[in-house]
Amino acid sequence: MALSLEIVTPERRVLSVACDEVRAPGAQGGFGVRPGHTAFMSTLDPGRLTYVEGGREHHLAVGGGFLQVADDKVVVLADTAEAAGDIDVARARKALEESRTRLLRLAEDDAQYAVDVARVRRAAARLHVAGQ
Amino acid sequence: MPSLRDIRNRITSVKSTRQITKAMKMVAAAKLRRAQDAILKTRPYAQLLDRTLQRVAARAAAEGAVSHPLLAPREVRTAEVVVITSDRGLAGGFNSNVIRRTQRFLTEDGGRFERVELATIGRKAKDFLRARKLDVRKDFTGVHQGLTFARAEAIAVEYTERYLAGEVDAVYLAYNEFRSAIAQTPVVVPLLPIPVPEAGAGAVAAVDFLYEPSREALLADLLPRHVAMQVWRALLESAASEHGARMSAMESATKNAEEMISALTLQYNRARQAYVTKELMEIVSGAEALK
Repeated sequence: MALSLEIVTPERRVLSVACDEVRAPGAQGGFGVRPGHTAFMSTLDPGRLTYVEGGREHHLAVGGGFLQVADDKVVVLADTAEAAGDIDVARARKALEESRTRLLRLAEDDAQYAVDVARVRRAAARLHVAGQ
Repeated sequence: MPSLRDIRNRITSVKSTRQITKAMKMVAAAKLRRAQDAILKTRPYAQLLDRTLQRVAARAAAEGAVSHPLLAPREVRTAEVVVITSDRGLAGGFNSNVIRRTQRFLTEDGGRFERVELATIGRKAKDFLRARKLDVRKDFTGVHQGLTFARAEAIAVEYTERYLAGEVDAVYLAYNEFRSAIAQTPVVVPLLPIPVPEAGAGAVAAVDFLYEPSREALLADLLPRHVAMQVWRALLESAASEHGARMSAMESATKNAEEMISALTLQYNRARQAYVTKELMEIVSGAEALK
């Protein structure tokens, strides 16, 4: 339990635990953090964040944000963060469908395109964590 | 001299007013608790974001590298003040205090700008400013109903874009800062350009971070979130202040109603006593006359 992990969103503190390992969806690919990691800062993409505590894996859906590591303290500033139990599966599925159909009709340089890509990724991350 | 029935009617009416003010006070107290809770909950994120931003920006400044357009002050031509009030009244001096603070800002600092525009959040701000014949460029409606971070973010994004497009060179927020349930201070704080975080001693850590994708990219991602957070905080502070102000306003209204009721009751009893005495005198003098 050499790592301390803290996850906060603008609306609340989601989590503050001790754990052994954190795996996060970095903007340039997923990465893992273990005790002794060098000071590091990265932006996060929407995706699944996992932490390992006493051999058990816990998952959260994060909607983008930042992660920083310093002195074995991992701080995640997430836009949203939900554990499997808190996810509204129906809503995520609906968002996924809506954005997906809209994306098929949009041009890639449309401003809405990026918005919907982000929505799809957030919804997909939620469904993934919820085990759907 | 009002008749007995007049006084009784007034007592009933004041009593029902007291009922209402009392109920409003209770509701405000409950809402205040929730609003205070919301402020406390955002604090960890705000503090961590501030610290992160400070680290990155201080480091960048120390190396004389990286400047972001949101950090760099430029010659200010057009400024905009966003005035945050509530949608509802009956909150003591809550709304008029912000408006007065805004007007003071306009007279004291308005000279520095070629043009100052106004925007409002909350129905009262719009009504107040219109009544004072001031132009409101934009009115954000319905922000207070179901206050969410997404809404604050949308407002922040709009201003960030206008700032970057050069339509506005400085943005200020005017709102009530929450001190306690009985004390709120109206303030005007700069939103854009972002006040450069101070590189105090020890702010620049010995070891630099590894940045992914890069420090510039990180900064470009952090700053808009910082702006959104400022708007969010102002909205929450304002909401908590509103409930606090309403609570104390209703508290004193209830107290006033009680004083009025006891004064009226005294008057009623006196009038009734006078009536009884008069009746008695009439009966006695009537009996005397028969002797």
